[in-house]
Amino acid sequence: MSEGSTAPPRRARLELLVRPEEGDGFEVRQIGSGVAFIQSRPARVSAGSFELAEVASKVDRQRSFILKNTATDRFLLLSEHEKFLWEQMNGRTSLQDIATAYVLRYGEFDFEIIPNLIRKLQRAQLLTMTPTSRLRQALARNRRQPVAKMAESALFALERINISSRNVQPVFRGIYRWGGFLIFTRGAALACVLLAIVGVAAGVRLWPDAERVVSGFGKSPLMAVISVKLLFLLTVGAHQLVHGLALIHYGRRVREFGFTFLHGFVPTFYVDVTDIFMGSRRARVVTAVSGALVHLVFGSVWLLIALRAPMGSFLQAFAAASGIIQWQAFVVALYPFCFIEMDGYHVLVDVLGLPTLKHDAIAYAGSLLRGRASLRFTRQEALFAGYVLVSTVSVLAFITFNVWLVVHAS
Amino acid sequence: MGSSADTQVFLRSVRLFRNVEGPELGILADSLRERALKRGQVLLREGDAGDEMFLVRSGSLVISKAVTGRVEQVLARVGPGDFFGEMALFDRSPRSATISADNDAVLLVLDRAALAKLTEVSPRAAAAFFESLVLIFIERLRASGDLVAEVTRWGLEATGLDVESR
Repeated sequence: MSEGSTAPPRRARLELLVRPEEGDGFEVRQIGSGVAFIQSRPARVSAGSFELAEVASKVDRQRSFILKNTATDRFLLLSEHEKFLWEQMNGRTSLQDIATAYVLRYGEFDFEIIPNLIRKLQRAQLLTMTPTSRLRQALARNRRQPVAKMAESALFALERINISSRNVQPVFRGIYRWGGFLIFTRGAALACVLLAIVGVAAGVRLWPDAERVVSGFGKSPLMAVISVKLLFLLTVGAHQLVHGLALIHYGRRVREFGFTFLHGFVPTFYVDVTDIFMGSRRARVVTAVSGALVHLVFGSVWLLIALRAPMGSFLQAFAAASGIIQWQAFVVALYPFCFIEMDGYHVLVDVLGLPTLKHDAIAYAGSLLRGRASLRFTRQEALFAGYVLVSTVSVLAFITFNVWLVVHAS
Repeated sequence: MGSSADTQVFLRSVRLFRNVEGPELGILADSLRERALKRGQVLLREGDAGDEMFLVRSGSLVISKAVTGRVEQVLARVGPGDFFGEMALFDRSPRSATISADNDAVLLVLDRAALAKLTEVSPRAAAAFFESLVLIFIERLRASGDLVAEVTRWGLEATGLDVESR
């Protein structure tokens, strides 16, 4: 280290001991202050406790906003960016999500803007901080019911499973250098397109014999489907790996890679790609799309195997099912209209410049259903309504297709 | 259970008894009781009555204080050669913290009678023991101050509270 340079101050950590509800034993958890901060959910005071007014400067033509705490008569001057952040502080959105929304909206990020605004709002008594997740709050409220208590305990146990590393940049850089870079070449893109065409052709040829193909599962279709799903989980790891390689391709940093149970019940691999927000829109789109293409490639390969396997064999049924599930994953990952914030959704909100599209659209649909919103759409409201409508139809179609598949498999 | 000679060898390695001579250590070793704990087992809880102190012979334990519900703050961890519970030995006040075994552990229990015996037989050995105890107390007091500062810093960082410009 050069003389005179100083290391950033170490973040404080608390060691907390948590006991089970019954019996002996305990678990010690280390909670960093940084984690607590970014997971907190700032909530502005209720709508009746503040007023917001726009003021336009005639000098620099910048828009500013006056925020007044009607209980204390304190006033704050907010910039347009700060007003955007203020609007996100609804008690449900974490600081991490707010920061993401900010970057998607403005294409830039100042690491001090959120802490500064929070300090300003706290001083004006316009903000409270809520640290826990909504799901856990709901379960905690209903803890007297045995089912909720069991669910909470199970989620509690699963949420603790997190195998991850924050020192993965050298690994990803190594993988990229030793062949990973090939994924981002024109040749790879061409191979991907060719594989997709061949895979579709294989699927079309298998389709007329669908019933004979799935008969290879014999008498235990459910077990077969479960094993297909488990194998699929491994390819989710490959999906995340390619996201990470895309970051390296664009000269950005992979901050973390790991495995966890999302919300306590969805096993998944994950990679922290937030550094790509500092890149160009093209870099963000390529990063989002490249991971999903893994499923397109695997799906095509599986369908080719199914085509070559003996008709009605277990291998053929397994390969066909794996191919379909991979293609479903490809579609779900890139298809933005399914209420899930996956790769395609992030591309869509990036292009539209509406970082909180899903949240706002659902809120708007709710107010429409309750009769609190007019049916005369503005352009943005039409977008919200269209998003909810297309997403609802898409989810129903997806469920129907899967039910049909299971029914035909059995 | 280890023999008295084994216990004496162990006590010699304990900082608390560093200045206590061999014969007196033998007397002390004879009056100590051994207590085994399974991993996760609670030895004593905050608020319990007690007048014994404990020496960790093997394993490790967590010293914690209740914060809220089932959550406690870890104050310290103790391992082989460390001791705890000495406050109740002297003032007989309720236990100030909860002690739980982090993994299987073996402890040696020193009660008032054993300490009184040591003082009676060898005031010089007892003085050496108390001097070491005071030095270790001073270290722990300093560590407590550091912990308070660390917890305060955590609170400020976690809430984003700006005290400097309030």
